[in-house]
Amino acid sequence: MRNSTPERDNFGPRLRKGINGLNQDILLRNNVKVFGKGTQPMLFAHGFGCDQNMWRFITPAFEDDYRIVWFDYVGSGKSDLQAYSAERYGNLDGYAQDVLDVCAALELTDVIYVGHSVSSVTGMLASIREPERFAHLILIGPSPYYLNDPPAYIGGFERADLVGLLDMMDKNYIGWANFLAPVVMKNPDRLELTRELEESFCSTDPKIARRFAEATFFSDNRSDLMKVKTPSLIMQCSEDAIAPLEVGEYLKRHLPQSELRVMKAMGHCPHMSHPEETIEIIKEYLRPTRVTAERVQHSHG
Amino acid sequence: MDNTLDTAPCGFLSFADDGKILMINATLLDLLGYELGEIQGRAIDIILPLASRIFYQTHFFPLLKLHGKVDEVYLSLRAKNGTEVPVLANAARRERDGMVINDCILMQVRQRSQYEDEILRAKKMAEEATRAKDEFLAVVSHELRTPLTAILGWARLMKTGKLDKSAAVHALHTIERNAASQNQLIEDLLDFSRIISGKIRLDVGRVDLDSLVEAALDVVRPAAEAKGIRLQAILDPRAGPVSGDPERLQQVLWNLLSNAIKFTPKDGRVQVRLERVNSSVEITVSDTGQGISAEFLPYVFERFRQADNTTTRQHAGLGLGLAITKHIVELHGGTVRAVSPGEGQGASFILRLPVMIVHHAENSLAGAEQESAAHGARSTELARLDGVRVLVVDDEKDTRDLLVAILTQSGAVVNAVASVGDALERLQSRRYDLLISDIEMPGEDGYSLILKVRGFKEEQDRRIPAIALTAHARASDRLRALSAGYQLPMAKPVEPSELVMAIANLTNRGQGSSLPVIAALD
Repeated sequence: MRNSTPERDNFGPRLRKGINGLNQDILLRNNVKVFGKGTQPMLFAHGFGCDQNMWRFITPAFEDDYRIVWFDYVGSGKSDLQAYSAERYGNLDGYAQDVLDVCAALELTDVIYVGHSVSSVTGMLASIREPERFAHLILIGPSPYYLNDPPAYIGGFERADLVGLLDMMDKNYIGWANFLAPVVMKNPDRLELTRELEESFCSTDPKIARRFAEATFFSDNRSDLMKVKTPSLIMQCSEDAIAPLEVGEYLKRHLPQSELRVMKAMGHCPHMSHPEETIEIIKEYLRPTRVTAERVQHSHG
Repeated sequence: MDNTLDTAPCGFLSFADDGKILMINATLLDLLGYELGEIQGRAIDIILPLASRIFYQTHFFPLLKLHGKVDEVYLSLRAKNGTEVPVLANAARRERDGMVINDCILMQVRQRSQYEDEILRAKKMAEEATRAKDEFLAVVSHELRTPLTAILGWARLMKTGKLDKSAAVHALHTIERNAASQNQLIEDLLDFSRIISGKIRLDVGRVDLDSLVEAALDVVRPAAEAKGIRLQAILDPRAGPVSGDPERLQQVLWNLLSNAIKFTPKDGRVQVRLERVNSSVEITVSDTGQGISAEFLPYVFERFRQADNTTTRQHAGLGLGLAITKHIVELHGGTVRAVSPGEGQGASFILRLPVMIVHHAENSLAGAEQESAAHGARSTELARLDGVRVLVVDDEKDTRDLLVAILTQSGAVVNAVASVGDALERLQSRRYDLLISDIEMPGEDGYSLILKVRGFKEEQDRRIPAIALTAHARASDRLRALSAGYQLPMAKPVEPSELVMAIANLTNRGQGSSLPVIAALD
């Protein structure tokens, strides 16, 4: 059918190009941007509904000291939609694999991972699988499970709320659900169309967005928390409708080596609405880290 | 606040990046049932239900922040009393006194939202329907191809001339059986398309079900015998007549019986019981076959449904038979239902039709038609057409050859031509007892031919009985053929015995009087 999402093996024909080609392909696939003057990598992972552009208000503060890495998950932003597979991205493991793929392609180690919202979970999952890559996890508005599970857990939502969200997405994505998306995918040269879409919040194909929403909001990753070996910072907004304070406290209790910072900022996107406070807290948290990192480098050298 | 803004026929809201409500106009306050004091300075979350909060945080705000504006975003607001208010939002960022302010216009879209729900529903249904059609097409092409494989395969083997006599007979039987089954598929498809378009019509008359059941049993008997299935009939002759279309009811019975035989293993039993139940006549077709699971039972009459839809399923077919059956029965004011104690325990289909109130002076047309159908089903020997002179007109050589073969076998003297022009020439140069013409032909068609024939000068030439052959079995095609001047329209492919019988009747060679359809013409 016309509007079906093309699915294919992500690398099949490309593997033949060899490892360098493969790395290059992942950088293209995930629209990876690398900049900054430092050496220790800071990897920024965007949340559901947006793309790497959401980081532009805070990364300038880190450019001088770190190697900044931005990327889009496959299916979001300007990633390669052809690489999307409904199966792989049907749960958060697929997204965590994107994080690890980017790390591998850039040969990143000692990574300071900054993840917003759902990316907190993908970062944790990635760090469980390859703990040696990660130095710190900075989790902005994290939640291991968005649904209420009384009496022990308050995630903030009932299933019906999320059905309401999916309905709202349906209505907002209706315009180009069947028409524009395939046109753009097939006509990369039609810039005016692409530009118009960039300005739409529909950063991606509606079916992909829906699946991402389902993977995000229906995943229960509470049992993964104890497996995380990387130290982490939980940045909890004071009034966050998506990740309420109880969730932040739950995380603090269950995530080993974690610190909880409750921000003055309200909402769910402090890095966009309150960039200064966000920068300040991250910098403060990282201050001893850099010393540690230098020491590690010395001892290796 | 500017008074104009307060009275504007749309909601207006200003909020800071942290979501704090800075300004809200009276229209929006009214819409949501709040007083200004209750809401100003609070977080925007107060007027957003949870789903909208997520959408705001994940979509609306990031877009507004990144692009400076948001156009036509659908949101749901929450009024003070808890009801949801669907709105369309446009928002833009501006700076005032060094502070960024987000201005937002909100239009209520209650009705539009309902239309959109409808559109989305329709879209999903259309997608669903397209998928069902695609699947159906795949099944149809598979089902049509299956008999073709056998037909072509055996025909090619025969062409090699290397088959011995018994193998050749077997080949012919196989070809015939497969062609018949393909014909049935096409009939089902046509019926189905008539049902979909609501064009199915009943030619209603008095129908005595006992003879109809017997005729249907005769049709399926060879199939039952081949599987060693015992056919039993318990027919109450006092069941009483029903009012209906004999051909259609015959089709229903045939469907139920052949289904029963199809799903009953070797050496099983299929039973038909006809009885009067109050003011209805009930026909129960029960079998000792594989039965129907409780899960599938509610769906047996749904189109395209077969309990086993896998590619390796044991039973072929389109899954249309029972859907057609149910529809026809309902057109007759009757009901049909399926009962089964479970898988492996047999099944019964119970058909119930209202009994007819008998008027003695009734036209016996339907009865005659049914008799002829029953008779046709029983006769295996072709009638004789010795000496009958027939002109066949068909542009397809294979059809011509086939008709010549059938008619010559019955003793007729046959000429065949490929066009209307040739036919007219022949008809004027010598005398024929009957004309059979195809309808769809390049250049001049069969309608044109019969109009010209009916315009001949000589009365004897003009009155020649004529049969129209058409690939379209639609009622409108039959009607057009009749009104153009043919006595009898017949659908392709024709059943040889039916064709010969029709010719015998039209040329007064048959045992009975002329066919009922001719009476209908007069």
